[in-house]
Formats: sequence, C-alpha cells, structure tokens
Amino acid sequence: MKKLRIPLAMAAAATLTLTACGGGDGGASTNAEGETLSVWIMQGTNPDAEAYFDEVKTKFTEETGATLDVQFIQWAEAHDRFVTSIAGGTTPDVAETGNTWTGEFADAGALAPLDEYVTAANLDGDLVEGLVESGTLDESLYGMPWYAGVRSVIYRTDIFEELGLEVPTTWDELVDVGLALKEAKPEMTPFAIPGDNGYAAYPFIWGNGANLATKEGDTWTSGLTSPEAREGLEFYTGLATEHGLSSAGATTWNAKDILDNFVQGNLPMAVMGSWEPPAILEQNPDLEGKIGAFPIPGPDGNISPSFLGGSHLSVFESSENKDLAWAFVEMMATGELADKWAEQTNYFPGQTSLLEDAVASDDPLVKPFATQFVEGGTSVPVTPQWGAVEAQKTLPAMIQSILSEQKTVDQATEDAAAEIEELLNGN
Amino acid sequence: MSAPPTDLAPPRNTRGGVSPRTKRKLTMSTARPWLLLAPALLVLAVLLLWPLLRVVLFSLQDYGLREIVSGRSNYIGFDNYAEIFADPMLWQVVLPNTVGFAIVAVGGTVVFGTLVALLLASLSRGWRTVVSSCIMVAWAMPAVTGTYVWIWLFDADRGLINGILLGTGIIDDPQNWFTDRWSFYAIVVLNIVHHGFPFVAITVLAGLLGVSKEMIEAATVDGAGAFRRFFQIIFPTLRPVFAVVIILSTIWDFKVFAQIYLMPGGSGSNRSVLNLGVWSYVESFAQNRYGLGSAIAVLLTLLLLVVSVLYVRTLFKEEK
Repeated sequence: MKKLRIPLAMAAAATLTLTACGGGDGGASTNAEGETLSVWIMQGTNPDAEAYFDEVKTKFTEETGATLDVQFIQWAEAHDRFVTSIAGGTTPDVAETGNTWTGEFADAGALAPLDEYVTAANLDGDLVEGLVESGTLDESLYGMPWYAGVRSVIYRTDIFEELGLEVPTTWDELVDVGLALKEAKPEMTPFAIPGDNGYAAYPFIWGNGANLATKEGDTWTSGLTSPEAREGLEFYTGLATEHGLSSAGATTWNAKDILDNFVQGNLPMAVMGSWEPPAILEQNPDLEGKIGAFPIPGPDGNISPSFLGGSHLSVFESSENKDLAWAFVEMMATGELADKWAEQTNYFPGQTSLLEDAVASDDPLVKPFATQFVEGGTSVPVTPQWGAVEAQKTLPAMIQSILSEQKTVDQATEDAAAEIEELLNGN
Repeated sequence: MSAPPTDLAPPRNTRGGVSPRTKRKLTMSTARPWLLLAPALLVLAVLLLWPLLRVVLFSLQDYGLREIVSGRSNYIGFDNYAEIFADPMLWQVVLPNTVGFAIVAVGGTVVFGTLVALLLASLSRGWRTVVSSCIMVAWAMPAVTGTYVWIWLFDADRGLINGILLGTGIIDDPQNWFTDRWSFYAIVVLNIVHHGFPFVAITVLAGLLGVSKEMIEAATVDGAGAFRRFFQIIFPTLRPVFAVVIILSTIWDFKVFAQIYLMPGGSGSNRSVLNLGVWSYVESFAQNRYGLGSAIAVLLTLLLLVVSVLYVRTLFKEEK
C-alpha cells in the first residue's frame, strides 16, 4: 500500500493551492503575531547575505510580530524554480525577481499589483525610472524597484598611467586608446568584443540614436535595420574585425569569460557591470587600486545609454497576507536597509532619494557607474515577450555572426530585426 | 514498443509459452504471477506512462506560464507539430546536425570501444585491471567537467591545441574552433567518444570473455587471421551485446544536450551548431512554450523508437 501513496501525494501537491506560508488568520500588517512570511532571495548578490538578513529578520519581527523565512535561490535555477512553484502552487509570499522576468510572471497572472501600496507609502516619483518601467505591465506596477546595476567600461588604471593614456570620451578616442594598447601590450586583448553578450553591444546601438524595438499602435518595429543602428554595430564589431582590438576567442565569449579574463590580467579594459569590481578584487587582490571605470562614450562625446539590470521585489498573487508582504517589501526597498544593501553589494538602490548619495560619491569605482546610471541608464523594450528574444539569443547570434564573418552587418541586422519583430508581434 | 517477443512477457509459468490449457482456466496458479507483478506494474504505469501521456497531451496545447498559473487547458490540435515541421531551421540545421552527429559519434564510440575491449581481452589480469581503471576515469568524469576540459584544450587564445598549431607554424593566426559548424562538431565528437567509449569497452569485454576459447583456437589452427576471427566468430557471438551498446549509444547521442549547450556559442548564439536538444530548449522551454517543447519531445521519442526497432530487427534477423 505504501506505493499507492506516491501518486496521491503528487495529486495533492498538484491540485491543492498551497501557500508557502504557514499563517492562518492574520490581522493587520503591523500585528501579524505568529505568522510566517516566506521570501526568496537570489544568492550571490551580497557576499555577506546571512548577516544582512539576520538583521532584517530581527527588525521585521520587531515591527510586525511575524517571522521571516528567507530562502536563497541560485540565479541559474531561479527561473525554473519560479515556474515549478507557480505550477505546484508553492510560491513564496515575496520574491526577488530579475527585472526582465517581472513582466513575464505578471503577464501570467502570478504577481500582485503594487500601485496602491506605493501610493499609500508616498513613494510615487521616488522610484528609479528605468526599474519602474521594467516592472510595469499594462500601467500597473508588479515589481518594486529594489536594486540595479549598469554596465560601463572597467579599465586598468595602472596600465593607462604607465602608457600615459587618457580615458576615451568619444568613439574615435576609444579606437586610438585601443590601438595604443595593442601596440604597447601585444599580449593583452585591448577591447574584447564578446560574441555571446548582447548587453555589451546595446550601448553602441542606443548611443548612435537607434533602438532595439519600438511599439506603434499594436505593432513592434525593430530599429536594428536603421542606418544609425548599422553604423553603431559596424563600429562596435569593427573594433574586432577592422582594428583587431579583440581576439579570436572573444567571438564566443560571454560575460563570465570577460570577467575571468579581466581577473587573469588579459584585458586592459572591457564593458562590465557595476557589480563586478568586488568579484574582480576578490579573485585577484593584486588589482586593488589598479582598476577604475568610465562611462561608455557616445560617438562624439556624452554617454552611450546602457541597460539597467537589476531586481524587483514582487509579491505573489497567492500570498495570503499581502499587507504583511508589502510591509516587508517596503522595509527592504526603501530607507536604511535598502541603502545598506546597495552599499554591501555595490549595486545602486531603486529609490531615487537614496541614489543621490551614490551620485555624490567620489569613489573611482562608484562615481562613473553612478553617472552612467543616472545619465545613461535605459531599459530593453518593455514587453513580456522580450524574454523570448533573450531566450533565442537573437542579438548575441547577430553579433557573433558578424564577428565570425559569416554575415555582413546589413544581413545580420536584417535577420535579427525580422526575428525580433516575429517574436514580439507573433503569438 | 512492439519489440519484445512474447517469450519475454511476464508470466512464464509453463515452459514452451501459452498453451490452450492455461488459456481456458484462470486458476490461482495463472493469476499469481500477475498479482505479484501488479505493484511493480502499477508503479511503472504511474511513474512512466502517466508522464508520457501528459507530454502527449501538452504537445496538443498552447501551454505556457499563463496556463500553468490558471490550470486551464488550451487545446490547439496539431499546431505545434505544424510549426515544428514548417521551420526551415529544423531541416537545414537541426536535423542534419543531430542525425549526422549521432551516426559519427555512435560509430566512433562503438568502434573505439570495441578496439579497447579487444586490447583489454588480450592483456594479463594485472594489466587489464590497470588499463580498465584508467578508462573508468573517463567514464566517471561528469559530462560538464569533461566538456570544459575540451573547451580549454581548444580555447582560441590560450588553448593547448592552438598553441601547438601556432608554434609549429601550421596556422598563422589564432583560430576559434567553435564558430565553424564542422570543427565545433569535431570537438563534440571527441568529447562524446571520450566519454562514451569506456561503457562500450567494458560491456564488450564482458562478452568477449565469454566467447569460447576452443573455437578461437580451432579457427587459428585452421588458418583464420585476426580479422576473420573477429568477424566470423566473435562478432556473431556478441551480436546481442552490440545491439544493446548501439541502441543505448544512439539514444544518448541523439539527445546530447549539456555537451553542446556548454560549448562556446553552443547555447544558441551560434545558430549553425544547434542540435535537437538545444534547439528544443531554446525554442520552447526557455520561452515557456511547454506545448511546443512537448511536441518536440514526442517527435524525438518516436524517432528513437523507430531507430531502435530497426536496429533490433536487423541485428536479430539472421538468427531467426
């Protein structure tokens, strides 16, 4: 008979909508004695997450009386975990959602709208624009901006100093600096163009005034075939194919390969994220004091926009006590705890008033990113379907095919634009 | 599914198969084997057939996150299958890569594995232990680790292979082996053969040790060379072993995923190297299109069933 219990248990798990929290009848958010709020947080963002969340737990129990149950989830498996938990009805009350996923989960009906809570907490207008945009679906906010990072160029200050190089502020200067590095340091790859990383290429499309896709009426049109986009990509891939500033291997590199090679000292500069300096210094302490950053230059000065990648805190529709869930979200995403999180993780807070401190900072590893964040932070096209474009690797495929000289820029952009339009408009 | 002949069916109570007597009377003695098998069959049905049926049902739906959340079904007939067959990518890239790769990889694994088995069989007991322990290491290595070793060897900028080729002047500029379809799959074949041959070698060795020594000696006395001895005595004796080894390798090599997905460009950014496994992941599961993914899985299952049945038929044909 024992064997018969397996299917029964499976059926029960599949049909019953179990909420992860054990809470029964709770009261208002400020008095939730005996309740438990379950929370999923991504692992690896904060090197000392345990200590941070111990503090959060204490504070949360003080304020609401409820207990906090924090689970750490790996980024790599997170998407699958969310989907299976949605399917099995075992979602947490609150979870950190990557800002390209929030729209997707909201579109599926798994997340609760937060607009009323945000207004009640007087936070309208105090949240970082780019993160609000990516957390919004059909004019409702489903993801509370928590933290975000941005890509700029990280470079080796010691090498630039040694060669007397200035930080480039235009595309022409970028080429000049790259060529100077190539000549003086032939064992290094002056400016790697990673073929498997679309985010590093976006600034060169946006910076030249083009877009990835825009919506008019009900139809999405990709701007990749515009002369501006083609010129930007011609320049970006040309750094590898024409000027030889990249390497053969970089044609198939992803963001992790860039980090590894920077750590090993193979790269004097590379487009990297604001969250990466701690990882660089942890893996190679010798680089302490030898790295700096500068915003990605525009074609003739200014700054090329870069993608704001970050996380929202989302409340799941299945949560039984949404007031309590919001109390946690507000505590984490605003004020002192949010500030502390940003400081410990090297990310920027999602609250505009907190962000101002970061902008005022003169830390050489914070200020350039903050400038990029505020002056040149932007979002990929806001639609739940953009996830499909990411999954298909449309843009990495485009860049890689140009780098490996399988397609011309014109051909590659045409194919990519067609694919984007099909994915965004289709189905 | 029609593969096992009737004498493999469970109730083997009377020698010589089903006799008219047992058919007439359903006595306790005929029912008992089934009763004893019932729990196992039930578990099999629940754990194997039910998921299989679910996959088939999903494949007839447009099933995404929205359906998962709401629990509603959304039948669309054979649209998923139509979409798959209408995709030029399937015919131009995915299928040729999958089938071509499987043929080469299965051939390579079986031939190399058999050669190693013949080597092992001719070694003394001590050396056999040493050599088989060594090849076990290749087998025991996780697919992910093994794949990264090959990636490092062929790394364009700092890999050993490029270093040697550049050093000896065979190539002038560093070559990225992962961007070209042919060199990409050559590396995958090396990886798969390296990882797969120990299983073949050990299995074939077990069979080889069972081949009667007298027969081989007699053939040697009669003047048969090594090739003749292998193809006329050893191979026919080991036919069932080869059947198992080939079918299993074919199944494994058809659905190879990690060894391709983890290679540079293999996760979708290099479209010319997609195989069925990675393509179905990128097209369906990565986009939450579970219906489409299920349809691809159903097709892959059918394809493998056909291949397996064909193998079994040809390998056992002569015996009957």
